[in-house]
Parts: sequence; C-alpha cells; structure tokens
Amino acid sequence: MADKLLIRLFDVGLGDCIYCRIPKAHKDGRDFHILIDCGTLSSTDYLSDAVKHLKALLPLIGGKRHVDLLVVTHEHKDHMTGFGMKLWDGMSFGAIWMSAAMDLNHPEAKRAKKLHAFAAGAMQQALRLNLALGPQLTELAAAVALNKTAMTTLRETLPKKNKIKATYVHSQSSKKDLALPLKGATVSVLGPEKDIDFYYLGRAGDPSLRRALGLIDSGLPDPATAVPNEKNIPAPANIDPAEFRQLRSRMLSTALAFADLDGKVCNNTSVVLLIVWKGRRLLFVGDAEWDGAFKKGTKANCSWNVMWNLRKKQLDGPLAFYKIGHHGSVNATPWGQTPVARSGEPLAILDAILPVKSKAKAAAIVSTRRGNYPTIPRTDLLAEIGGRVSNTRNYADAFTKALKKTSEVPQFAEYERKSFAKPQPRRTDLERMLVDSKPFVDVEIDSPH
Amino acid sequence: MGTKEKKPARESGQRPKQRLKRAMLVDLYEARQFLTLDTIKETGLRMPVQVYFKDPAVAETTAVAGIDNDFTTPWEPGLGDGPTSARFAVVDYDATTNVLTPPAIWDRKRNCYVAADRKTALDGKTKDLYQYHQLSVWAIVQNALDYFESSSGLGRRISWAFEGNRLIIVPHAGYGENAYYDRESKSLQLYWFASAKGTVFTCLSSDIVNHEFGHAVLDGLRPHYYESLATETAAFHEFLGDLTAILMAFRNNAFRKIVLKESHGKLTNAQLLAGLAQQFGAATEEAPYLRSGLNSQTMKRLAGTIEPHALSEVLTGAMFDILMGIFAKHRTNEIKRAKRGKSGKPSDIRAFADTVPRMQMLAIQPLDLLPPCAVTFRDYALAVLRSEQVSNPTDPTGYRELMIKCFIKRGVLTQRDRKDLMEPAPVFRRLALDVFHPVDDLAASRGGAYRFLDDNRAKLRIPANVDIIVPEIVRARKRNRDGLPQPDQIILQYLWREELILEGARFGRFAGERTAMLCGGTIVLDQSGNVIHWARKPGTLAVGNSQAARDDQAEGLERRKELLNTIAARIAAGVIGDTIGGELGLLGRASPPFTLRRVDGTIRFSLAPHFSIRGDAPDDETGDRQWQISF
Repeated sequence: MADKLLIRLFDVGLGDCIYCRIPKAHKDGRDFHILIDCGTLSSTDYLSDAVKHLKALLPLIGGKRHVDLLVVTHEHKDHMTGFGMKLWDGMSFGAIWMSAAMDLNHPEAKRAKKLHAFAAGAMQQALRLNLALGPQLTELAAAVALNKTAMTTLRETLPKKNKIKATYVHSQSSKKDLALPLKGATVSVLGPEKDIDFYYLGRAGDPSLRRALGLIDSGLPDPATAVPNEKNIPAPANIDPAEFRQLRSRMLSTALAFADLDGKVCNNTSVVLLIVWKGRRLLFVGDAEWDGAFKKGTKANCSWNVMWNLRKKQLDGPLAFYKIGHHGSVNATPWGQTPVARSGEPLAILDAILPVKSKAKAAAIVSTRRGNYPTIPRTDLLAEIGGRVSNTRNYADAFTKALKKTSEVPQFAEYERKSFAKPQPRRTDLERMLVDSKPFVDVEIDSPH
Repeated sequence: MGTKEKKPARESGQRPKQRLKRAMLVDLYEARQFLTLDTIKETGLRMPVQVYFKDPAVAETTAVAGIDNDFTTPWEPGLGDGPTSARFAVVDYDATTNVLTPPAIWDRKRNCYVAADRKTALDGKTKDLYQYHQLSVWAIVQNALDYFESSSGLGRRISWAFEGNRLIIVPHAGYGENAYYDRESKSLQLYWFASAKGTVFTCLSSDIVNHEFGHAVLDGLRPHYYESLATETAAFHEFLGDLTAILMAFRNNAFRKIVLKESHGKLTNAQLLAGLAQQFGAATEEAPYLRSGLNSQTMKRLAGTIEPHALSEVLTGAMFDILMGIFAKHRTNEIKRAKRGKSGKPSDIRAFADTVPRMQMLAIQPLDLLPPCAVTFRDYALAVLRSEQVSNPTDPTGYRELMIKCFIKRGVLTQRDRKDLMEPAPVFRRLALDVFHPVDDLAASRGGAYRFLDDNRAKLRIPANVDIIVPEIVRARKRNRDGLPQPDQIILQYLWREELILEGARFGRFAGERTAMLCGGTIVLDQSGNVIHWARKPGTLAVGNSQAARDDQAEGLERRKELLNTIAARIAAGVIGDTIGGELGLLGRASPPFTLRRVDGTIRFSLAPHFSIRGDAPDDETGDRQWQISF
C-alpha cells in the first residue's frame, strides 16, 4: 500500500489537476509529492474541492501542507486558473516548474511571446465584449484569455512565500535547474525544446507561415482594433446595417487566426514530464499535440513529433503509465487515425509507448468532460488506447449494472454510443457518474519484486 | 452588328471628346442594344477605367504589371459612390484594422469616379489610393458580368444565388492570403498580405478577382451545385473560376499582345501556353494562382482523386486544347486569305483576336444547358457540343470534330460518345409529350413551367409521387459568331430530392441519418418548342417500362451508389464539419472544405467557402485532426 506509486487525476471537469506520490523517493526518506496543473474550463468549484482533497494527502511540514514539486505545464486556463484562486494558503512548495514558453525573458521565444500577448489580449477583449463566439471558439477564448492573477501567483507570490525561484524548464535545462531532493526516481523534461520560436513557430521558409510570422514581427494590431467594440465599428453608407453585420461575421478574423496559432504553440510547448521509478516509465504530456510528421525549421511543429525526432532515446519505450493528453482530444495522442498516420510517425510513436503486447503492464487515465467543444473526448481514440492498457472499463456494462441512464451522458448518441461498449481507459467524467461524488480516478503502480 | 463600315479606332484611354447631356446619355442607354461597340465607347456608355492586369508586387514581368489602356466597363444611369451600381456595392471595410475607407466618389458632371478630394481622377497614376482599388475591382466585375449577360454570352440577365441583387465587394477585407466568394454574406472578399516587394493586394490581380467572380456567377446560375460533396462538381466550380479568369485575360488587349510578343510570333501550343503560365505568374512568389491550361491531366490519371482543384485541370486543359485548335484553324484561314490576295500578310494577332470571342461563346453559352444538380465534366462537354451545333449547324470548318477529339483525349468523353454524337440526325427535334403546352405559357412563370412538367411526367420520366421544384425559368437571346441571333432559348430547370439513408459504419457519426440525392433536369426549348437540350439526372425509380426508363433507372442507381461512396470517403477523410466562426468573424484554418446543415430532419451537405488563394488546402491526410482548435 505505502509502497505503491499513486497517480490521482482529480475530476475537475474539463481541466487537469494531477497528484503523483512516489513512495519513499524523497531524500529524507519520506514520500515525494508532485502536483501537475490545477485548472479547468468548467466550474471552479471543482478546483476548490480538488485542492481540499489534495491537502489531505500531503504531509504536514512546518504547519503547512507540503508539495515537493509543482509543475504548471502551459498557460491555458484549464491547467492554471486554480492558481488565481485563494486555495494555496496553508500550503508550501519545494520547487515550482513552468514551461519555458511562460518565461517572459526566454530569448528563443520572442515571437511566441508577441503572439501570446496579442492572442491573450484579443480573447480577453472578446470575452469582455460578450461576443457571440459559438461553442468551440468560446473554449478557445476562455482558455487563452489573460489570467494575470494566476500568473502573478506562480511567478511572484508563491516563490516569494517559499523562498524559492520559479524554474522555467525545457528539454535542455541544466541538471542544476532540474535538481530535486529525489532518490530512487528521476524526473526529466522531454519538452518543450529550448528554441521555442524555431521548433513550434517555424522559420519563414514555409510560404504559408511566412505571412503569419511577418505580421507577428511587423506588428499585430492592437487587441481593441482586432476585436472592436460595436460602437467603434464604422458604418458603410451603401449597404444596410444587418447586411454589414452579417458580412463582418463572415470575414476572416485576424484575432481568431492568431489566437488559434497561439493556442497551438501554447499546447505544443507544454512541459512533458517523464518520471522513472524502479524501471517504471510514467509520461505526463499536458496538452502536447501531434501531426503527420516532423519538419525542421520551416514548420510549426507539434510536440510529439519534435520529441520523437529529437528526444527519441527517452521517449521510445513502453510506458507503465500515460496521462492521456488534452482531455482525450484527437490531436493530443498520436495514433493511426488514417492510412497516412498509420504508415508514418503517429502510429510508430503509439506502438513504441503503448505496445499492444505490453498491455498488461500499462495504464492510462484521462481527465475530461464533454461540453462546449463536442468532439472532446474522442471516444474512438479512447477505445484505441483501451486496447493497449489494462485499467479499462466497459462503460456500457458498467452503466447497465449501476442502473445508470446513458441519456445522462452528454451527447451520447453522436459522440459516445459507437465506442461505449469497447473497453476505455478510466475517465473522470464517467467514473463520477457511475460512483456518485467520486471526485478522482487513481492508478497505482506496484514496486517490482 | 451587320456590315457597317468600321469607323477609325480612337486612341486608347481617351475619353469621348463630346460630353453628352445626361438626358441624352440615358436615352442612348435605353437603346444600347442597337448600337455598335464603337458608338458605345464614343458616347461614354462604356467608361474607360485604367485597371492593372496583375498587382505589380507579384507580376512576373513588368510588362504584365502594366495598365490595360483599352479597358472599358459599362456605364449605368444609377451609379453611386462606392462604387455602387445595380449589381454591385463596394464596401471598403478592413476587418484587421477596423477601418472603413471612404468610397470612390461618382462625379456626375465628369461622368467618372474621383478620389475623396472630389477632384483627383482615379487612374494608373493613383495606384496607391484605396479609392483607385475600389474603382478597379468594381470595373473588373462590372465588365465580367456584362460579358456573361451579353448576347455573345448567355444573352440574358442572370441572378445571384442569394436573396437580393447586389454582390458586396470588399477590396481590402483584411490580412491574409485569401480571396473568396461567400453566398451567406453575399460577398466577394479580397485580402492583402505582405511580401518582399511590399503589400500585395489580391484586389489588384484581375485573375484572382475574376476567378472568385466566376464562382459567384456559377452559384447564381446553378445554386444546387453547392449542395454537393462530389469532386467533379466542386472541380467544375474551380474550372469555371479559372475559365472566367482566362477568358477575361484573353480579352485584355495588352495581355494578348504580350503573349504574342513573348512567343516571338510563333504560336505553337507549347510556347503560347507556357507564356500564359508565366504571365499569370504567382499570387504569391511561389504558388501559381491559376491551374495552368498547359497540363496533360486526364480523367483516368486522376481517377479516385478527391481534390477538386487538381481534377479541374482536366477540363481546363481540354478547353485550352480547344482554344489552340480553333486558333490553328483561324491561322490557316489567315494564310489562305493572304494567298488568295484577299488581305495583307497573315496576322497572328488577328487570328488570335478572332479566336477569343469564338471561345467566349463556345465556353460560356453552354452553361445554360447544364443540369440543375450534380454536374459532371461530361455534362459540360455535351452542352458545349450541343450549343455549338445549334449556333453552327453546318460546321464547315469542323469545330465539332475538333472539340470531340479534345474531350476524348482527356477522358471526358468516350469513343462511344463520339459515335453517338457524330451520328447524322436532325439538328432539331421535338419532345415526345402527352400534353402540349404553348412555349410562351410555360415560359411565362414557374407555375406555368411546373404545369407543363406535371402534365408530362410520364414522357419526361419524372416520378408521379415526387413534388417537383422549379428553381428557375428564363428566356435567353444568344447570338452566334457572326452576330446573328440564335433561336430564343427557354431554359427550364426542375428538381426533386430522393431520400437516402446513410446505413453502415462507414458513415461514422452520421450513420443512421438521412440525406437526399438531388435529381432533376434542364430542358431548353426554342420559341417553336424544339428541344435545344435536355440534360437529366435521374433517380432510382423507373418511370414506366420503356428502355429509356430502364436506362434512366440504371443511371440513377449508379448515381446513388457513387453519392454514397463519396459521402463515406469524405467522412473517412474527416473533411466535413462546421465553418467555425461567430460574431467576431471566421476562423478559416479550423473550417473544413465541406459542411452541412439539417433541414426538416435531413442532412444537406455542401461546399464551404474556399478561403485560401492557394489551391487545394494542404491536407496532411491525418483526418479531422487538422481542424481541431487548440485550447
């Protein structure tokens, strides 16, 4: 019991709040406690509950509940909004890691920074003006919009209180930067790469990219211009106002285009953690994405492809645990979705980390909830992962047995029914429905004999 | 028009010396169909406007970047600031900068458009004024519309696919390598972007403007083509965009001269077309905007492709081949004429100049003969041949043979088709009908047209138990090459929907849902009731026991099979989804090329706007993953 490694994904709706306890791995002989992310796009009540439960798992050191390592994978609301809430009093932190993309002074992220400042400002403006964005874009705007309080907490308040400095990590961070009071286990960073602009925005070689980068360099418009207040929008004299409104809603929005690109860069500069404990490999990928293939320099690459090409030695090998990326989104776990994906990098990566033949020794869980963005989670992807891990559940059977109605599962017919009877890795949303008020999903990993 | 003597040509670019009083101008405007082109230009019924052929920032050579000094566009009594005219309203709103640029101002006294200072004339010297761009883009589409509506084109007024009659033109819509026609907002949007040579304005490149305008025209003529997932139908839309751009480019005198010059007077196929490909240049420095006519694509080679831009090259190539064949014939005529001492030296310029209007008629007039839905390249080829036959029944120079050969070479028609087409037969036949309706009655209203169809369901092989939609009934007056009137055309389209259930796992998330196969036809009659053309898209029900009914049913079953396969293929490729946007505007990157809506419990799949000026969207073939939004 105490010798098992515990990973607990709190159910925070559409968000991540992950606790990992490595038994007896602290230099002082006690357990080592890790918290990865605390955020949601759903109700923030989930976060208060989660942190309350979390505290009960943590050791009391100097009168405070202590976290040895806090990792904030990337600057999206569903991973860090909790840090803007008053939840952290009575807690202490041994180390705070954030993605190098969140370092305002990171020299190789100049473009990414400009892009992010624009995107966050523009989406903040959109929310402030209460524009009708449609469900999918509402999530983008919410995720990307400025969250000053949370960032201040992470960059200033918590480090000061704990007398430490926040560390911005990347795959080439020095041993010193990544030093932790660990024994019998290692924590390494597989992503992002240090040169964020180069790998995740690309150089201007790709023509379609050149335009975007050019505008980022030469000057994105002011967010108030890109997302104007209706009373500041001039009215043409030769068409009527309704036609003009309709026209504007069918024009390409610079704000959306760049918020979209920023969202992609942000996801792909998620901190990717590899924890190795007694030969067991545990991978936490934040919201890292994949696409068809890696291309050096002239492409806005996705994290998985970059890692597969540059960090292959560390990535290539069966996992004991996989935190399913981006709440089960189709683009966050590489898989053989199409013939091209099957014959290329995507399936090769999945076969390397979760080979079917090692199913018995692998586990995966996902923290998710289906809401405004209806295609998250992707149940055919979850079924694919289900065929490669052992901690699965046949939810069709489970619901029947528990006398629960599938009609209560959001958008069941369109997005759940087809894969419902296939074994899926445990999901926080469905586990909560099956076991009333169960607010988390666990994976325990044995120490090998 | 007839055999009047030609007046001496005026110098290009000059305004008419005599400025007419407005009342007289309106009087002449009413009578313009009886006036010669020279008179029209002389009186100001066509206004000279200096337009650029291509934005100098992307033109391959400075020659092409020059002004077309011979460009004129139709005047109207109601012109207003914008420009705003009967069918167009230029709205210069930039969504990136939230700026509404003041419009070009119509100076009634001078009968021309001027800048915001109400003084400066807008021409090639004022290229950097946005008002010049507004005027230029308006003049291009005003001219192109006239081209389609004139008697050398469709010979009738055409309508847009949307409610209303003014197409909104947005010359500086915002930042991006984009230009698109959007039915939902009744607009043609042209974006701008940065390049090494400075800002590139897509509104200054007439080929881009004309290509997108071609989409608007075809959508107006056949709105149900948008309700399709079929590659050939989407490819036909791209073909028409390219065709419009190419034909309008050919009408540009300066362009023709450049091409001739560049080929050093030796106009063989390869040299001419290579020259064209180069002159169209790049929309950006890398990607050619127009699919080159100089290609050797065939239906066989592209069998199975689901990329509309790639497939459209087959038809563009076929029409280029026809163009070259006609040019060759004109050249031969020139040489013969010179030999007989009838004219001076044989002139390639004249031969080329004669080819262009011939091509206009040959390529545009058949559009009225197309079926109302699910068009294929073969439908167009048959329409081209039939249209040519009607306007040129004796065909002394052998155009028909030439065109059939070109279509067969590309796999658009087969040898079997050739046999049927070259079979000697009367040019005009009458429809076998049960109930006679006078042509004037059925031409007078959609209701009248419907009663004609309904009375004759059996003979027209329209199922008894479907409700027929009559989207349009129009009457056209086309002219042939010699300016002589062709028989009037009464063009009647009819449609019905046959329900399809998407059964099976291959339909993914749409499995079990209903959609419809569009069926119907276009009947074109002349004023005497002879059949000019009858293009049918049958359903799967046999109407009667005749061989024709059985053939129709076989075709209908084949169509249904293909439609289901296409839907499944699109679903598997993950290219159907919502166009993503809201009050703030659209996110093009996240919007797949096909979309859907639900009407009365059935799904209607359709083409989504094609935002980018780059050809087929780079499909990385990883399915719908590529449309995900990363939050």
